[in-house]
Amino acid sequence: MNKLIILSLLLAVAGLAYAAEKDAVHSIAIPVVRTELKAGEGMDTTGKYCSICHSLDYITMQPEFPKATWTVEVNKMIKVMGAPIPEKDAQTIIDYLAAQYGTGNKP
Amino acid sequence: MISRNLSRRNFLRAAGAVTALTAVGGFPADLFAYKRRMAKFPEKTDLILLTSRPPQLETPLSYFREMITPNEALFVRWHISGVPTSIDLSEWRLKVGGNTEKELELSMADLKKFEKVTFTAVIQCSGNGRSLFAPPVAGGEWGDGAMGNVTWTGARLRDILNSAGLKAGTVDVSFNGLDKPPLPTVPDLVKSLPADKAMEEDLIVAYEMNGKPLTMLNGFPARLIVPGWYATYWVKSLSDITVLSKPFEGFWVKTAYRIPETDCGCIPPGTTPKKTVPINRMTTRSLIIDPSGSSGLTLNKPVAIMGVAFSGGRGVQDVLVSVDGGKRWEETRLGADKGKYSWRQFFYEWRPTKPGRYDLMARATDTIGESQPFEGLWNPAGYLWNKVEKTEVVVK
Ligand code: HEC
Repeated sequence: MNKLIILSLLLAVAGLAYAAEKDAVHSIAIPVVRTELKAGEGMDTTGKYCSICHSLDYITMQPEFPKATWTVEVNKMIKVMGAPIPEKDAQTIIDYLAAQYGTGNKP
Repeated sequence: MISRNLSRRNFLRAAGAVTALTAVGGFPADLFAYKRRMAKFPEKTDLILLTSRPPQLETPLSYFREMITPNEALFVRWHISGVPTSIDLSEWRLKVGGNTEKELELSMADLKKFEKVTFTAVIQCSGNGRSLFAPPVAGGEWGDGAMGNVTWTGARLRDILNSAGLKAGTVDVSFNGLDKPPLPTVPDLVKSLPADKAMEEDLIVAYEMNGKPLTMLNGFPARLIVPGWYATYWVKSLSDITVLSKPFEGFWVKTAYRIPETDCGCIPPGTTPKKTVPINRMTTRSLIIDPSGSSGLTLNKPVAIMGVAFSGGRGVQDVLVSVDGGKRWEETRLGADKGKYSWRQFFYEWRPTKPGRYDLMARATDTIGESQPFEGLWNPAGYLWNKVEKTEVVVK
């Protein structure tokens, strides 16, 4: 009987200590949200490289840009942020973005 | 271009209600719907989702009916995807060092030993209103909801720096948080302030927002508050304060978050600035929150026009309202004054006596006479937006 009481007391103390420990830790779980790119030539290449550092909604939230602006953006990702994208894939991505999220070949 | 902006704006204003859009006409309500999704993130209510990794969430304008923006509705803006998601307060320390007499490692208990300071201040992203720029610019495509009015509590930055002791030759102070770049090539988000700015009285390291611990996504456990200045300096989940004897050269100050070095911080649309300076004080602005659309507007019935106005830390002198697109202006009644860094609510009772379309506008002036432009001022990064905007409504 006594042993049981001591055991449960010990358990309660351990539980309190655990709760205090847990209180010091603040955690959240950030949801994963899927963003679909528009179908078109270059979609897979764009999806593969442009999702390395951030979600693809960085692309889909942009207004329609002329191709020159998308060229500047893709080059910025490569030269400033260090996006590991081979040159030929970069051109595929620029063409895709201009066609699907831009004003096409219009200046 | 104008219709694109109007329709995007009205979509935001409507925040799910289709009435505003159909009243204006011209565009189907779902035209931009794929761009404006709602999402619920931890410790947050449903907010407008700009990006998910890292999270950028915008506050629906209806929350600005309240003087104080609730913690769960305050906008969220991170830059690099290694966002802190778990912090053990028993291990967290704020390190202070560099060109100082002493190195400090402050626990939360240590931070709370400094004199406790509380004030209300507008927090606003540098890019708030970017989606309204013409021609459009790349970046976070915020409507007007990347702002909020929050009561902050914390320790004076100056007291912390004094307890470390600044050595002679101090130029800048830099601030780093717990967020981490996704690849080593991506510049870490470190910001800096000139030392004299850092030593001003009103900067604090805040550990409470509206009387509660910071939410994780708003910078738990402590963030810098630079009232009157854009939130790019309000570094979240602060971990390191470094006192520098040389000018800070990091990417997010030297290359990003810069404005043209002109009086207005603006240049002719589509051009490139000759010289730039780091963005700093917020421009004066106002926003009509009610009415948000035409529903409920009836002939000869009073309409309560309501909105918010603030400046770069100089209070608000007055807010004028026009219901006819800017031909005639009326004085408004200002709500409670919660200090020069807080926003001020404005109220005007309008009684439409003719049916038809009305363009509602508001224009704020701060205590030194700085006001808002009637044309959108342009700069390549989409900062400082404070154009006098139009809310189009129809009275039946
Ligand atoms: C090496 C990491 C990395 C990769 C890979 C990358 N980006 Fe980014 N991108 C960034 C960072 C960092 C930012 C700034 C984030 C912020 O401020 O919220 C950014 C921002 C952007 C923006 C917002 C505008 C701006 O310039 O800040 C766009 C648009 C964008 N990226 C498009 C792309 C596209 C398209 C690709 C694929 C070609 C891509 N990104 C690949 C790191 C990367």
